[in-house]
Amino acid sequence: MKTVFEKSVKGRRCFEVSALDVEKYDFEAGALRSSLRLPELSEPEVVAHYTALSKRTFGVDDGFYPLGSCTMKYNPKLHEVIAALPGFRDAHPLARADKMQGSLAVIDTLSAYLAGITGMDAVTLQPCAGAHGEFTALLMVRAYHRARGDEKRVKVLIPDSAHGTNPASAAMAGFEVVTVKSDADGLVDLADLSLKAGEDTAALMLTNPNTLGKFEKHILKIAEIVHEAGALMYYDGANLNAVMGVVRPGDMGFDLVHLNLHKTFSAPHGGGGPGSGPVCCKAELAAFLPDPQVTRTERGFRFGRSDWSAGRVTAFYGNFGVYVKALAYIVTLGGKGLREAAVTAVLNANYLREKISYFYPVGEGRCMHEFVLSMRKLREETGVTAADVAKGLIDRGIHPPTMYFPLIVEDALMFEPTETASKETLDAAADALKEVIELAYTDPDALHSAPHTTPIRRPDEAGAARDPVVKEEL
Amino acid sequence: MLDLLGLTSAEELFSDLPKELRRKKFALSEGRSQQETYKALAELASRNATYKSVFRGAGSYVHYIPAAVTSVTSREEFLTSYTPYQPEISQGILQATFEFQTMMCELTGMDVATASHYSGATAAAEACVMCAGKGRKVVTFSNIDPDTLDTLRTYLGARGIALEVLSADNGNAVLKSGTGGSVLYIQSPNYYGIVEDVSLLVSAAKAEGMKVVVGGNPLALALFRSPGECGADVAVGDAQPFGLPVSFGGPYLGYMAAKREFMRKLPGRIVGETKDAEGDRAFVLTLQTREQHIRREKATSNICSNQAHCALTAAVYLSLMGARGLKDLATKCASNAHYLARELTRVGAKLFYEKEFFHEFVTITPGKASALTAALERKGILGGLPLDEHRILWCCTECVGKADMDEVVSIAEEVL
Ligand SMILES: Cc1ncc(COP(=O)(O)O)c(C=O)c1O
Repeated sequence: MKTVFEKSVKGRRCFEVSALDVEKYDFEAGALRSSLRLPELSEPEVVAHYTALSKRTFGVDDGFYPLGSCTMKYNPKLHEVIAALPGFRDAHPLARADKMQGSLAVIDTLSAYLAGITGMDAVTLQPCAGAHGEFTALLMVRAYHRARGDEKRVKVLIPDSAHGTNPASAAMAGFEVVTVKSDADGLVDLADLSLKAGEDTAALMLTNPNTLGKFEKHILKIAEIVHEAGALMYYDGANLNAVMGVVRPGDMGFDLVHLNLHKTFSAPHGGGGPGSGPVCCKAELAAFLPDPQVTRTERGFRFGRSDWSAGRVTAFYGNFGVYVKALAYIVTLGGKGLREAAVTAVLNANYLREKISYFYPVGEGRCMHEFVLSMRKLREETGVTAADVAKGLIDRGIHPPTMYFPLIVEDALMFEPTETASKETLDAAADALKEVIELAYTDPDALHSAPHTTPIRRPDEAGAARDPVVKEEL
Repeated sequence: MLDLLGLTSAEELFSDLPKELRRKKFALSEGRSQQETYKALAELASRNATYKSVFRGAGSYVHYIPAAVTSVTSREEFLTSYTPYQPEISQGILQATFEFQTMMCELTGMDVATASHYSGATAAAEACVMCAGKGRKVVTFSNIDPDTLDTLRTYLGARGIALEVLSADNGNAVLKSGTGGSVLYIQSPNYYGIVEDVSLLVSAAKAEGMKVVVGGNPLALALFRSPGECGADVAVGDAQPFGLPVSFGGPYLGYMAAKREFMRKLPGRIVGETKDAEGDRAFVLTLQTREQHIRREKATSNICSNQAHCALTAAVYLSLMGARGLKDLATKCASNAHYLARELTRVGAKLFYEKEFFHEFVTITPGKASALTAALERKGILGGLPLDEHRILWCCTECVGKADMDEVVSIAEEVL
């Protein structure tokens, strides 16, 4: 498909800025640019272009989207309407706090809900995504240790099954990363943890259920080991969808949590963002939250500051237009509905896993809200890879699961159906996967060359990285 | 479903969880109907003041958003998809992002642009971290956006990179020699709306062996020479003015564009063009070996989810505006601001800086700043941002007309 620049016709216009009713101001010519090339099209042409592009994009409303670790649940349409209410949409972030009591109430109310759901005491909504929340929380960890005069805690422990953002955030926050091994069941190896947790440990970062979809059943023991070493427990909340309303990170022994409101709390993913990654913490850590904080006063809500804050992590108050959707979600579901969502998500994952369990599942027993299959045996027997299977699913109208993650499983495919997939959807997905696996044994080439039904065939990704073309030559 | 699993209740699936945890009691509220949720949230929204005209910017700008922008970007495929890991079913969002990259490169005069950052503040911080070489000191000025300055402090401090903030008392940044810095970060137009002499600052910094990161409102780039043309290494900023509502501060659109030598060091996602198995053009996420999912702690950044939908919005907005529309818009904003500045000085305010400015400027009205903004507030006008008791930072966009400005001036005349 042609790009918007290729469609451009010199001199064609669409949008007219309303005419000046004051004298035109002219800047000194020396400061001005000589040319600017942007598309020149009519409004119908621009709309047609982007409409065509939207049709080449697969969203949650287009079909089953079991992308593991990303919680691609349905996004209620009401939330878009709410975020676009003029009172929210047109609220200037630097208007006086007493004139913006609605926005501050959103921050205060949502913070209180999230504290309740996680079993924590204080919250910041400033981080704009999960990784940003990780970074923020680790800065708080450091500020906490420093405030106690403890400067030697330079290491962060991270399981080998963890998401890549965990070690990357630790490095950005100035920590050294120490990897903790997983045991045969894919859980934290307690012996390895005991060995590595010490007086130079600042925190353990843990996802629970972990990225294999397994609940860390020794979590209380893990917390004991980490706390005994004088370190903090950090919860990567990307998988909270499995346990919200059932158990709380705060009760598991965690001191800080980040949440992904664009996953668990149903804010849409927007083709890659914007998200929202609040951090919730125990009272001892509250002083280190980023400034500013919303506080309740006799005269209503106000912004407050802390002398101990770990610092600001972005402009203003984070992605307000995203987290207001999460508030709407929580208000509609209530605590009971959130619990029901978690239970249904776990049921759906177990149901799908059971239906396709003969396709090389990883680990024994039940899973939580997601599960991992290993395509290693399939690859060895047929030459068909996890990526081939994924592309075969595309031809059957399904967005593929997450591929090649977690790294501790060879040829991994990670399925997270979420609670909003119906039984019929799950049955159809199981049938589709079965069909693909059978095809691997009868006609592997049909999968090596899949997908066949999409606007493009498989792209040359290696070539793209070798000789990058990252913009159009105009 | 339970039958297949041999269970009587889905709750049994949680039997792996420690009993002590499951036994903990905590309150679970009841849910509500969507209609009730709407009512409750609409009530909260109605507690925010709405203004008939807005003269406040300072990093968040009220512009007219063409209906076609909202209409096209709210299509569910764009809204509900995620990061395009599967290019065959994501060509739409990939191509739109590639087009966005092209537009940002054109505006900034750079060779490569990323597919978005959380905000202009984090884009500035990540760019400075990227550029901080052996010297490991970033130098900037007191006239940059205060949230960006705070964010820089946080990000640089975390990595042990020093930050020196030079004062810019007369409004403009002037780089003295011998700072010992390895990176210079400047903003133009700066926080006070003043257009900096970017070329001069870049040559001064280059003479000291520094890399230069230039921040700023990208709307100004419709008129002024681009950071790339002025010799800067990296351009950053917040593209919120390109079709995004002010929305109480977010989601906005951090952008970063750089010279080609930085291509493999940049933080965040980048879309590249390639060919598919049949030789047809295709778009993919590229240069992924920089990223956290592959490099983990050695990645150039931790960023994963970004502000993709905001980047799409900016691309649609710029396609609708075209170069002429964008220039007309920037000219209208600047002309309005110069009119208001002149009129305010006629009724007793003084300009705090006598410098060339874009669409923001600072007035001084000794002791009267809050009295003036309060008087405007009473008439449903969001006045400029009081910086202290005396100074106000004003902003004009195309959303205000002569009549709106004249009303501000007549109220100012009464107060002053
Ligand atoms: C387990 C886990 N942790 C952290 C993240 C990072 O979240 P975000 O993409 O919002 O930065 C993800 C996202 O994919 C994840 O799956």
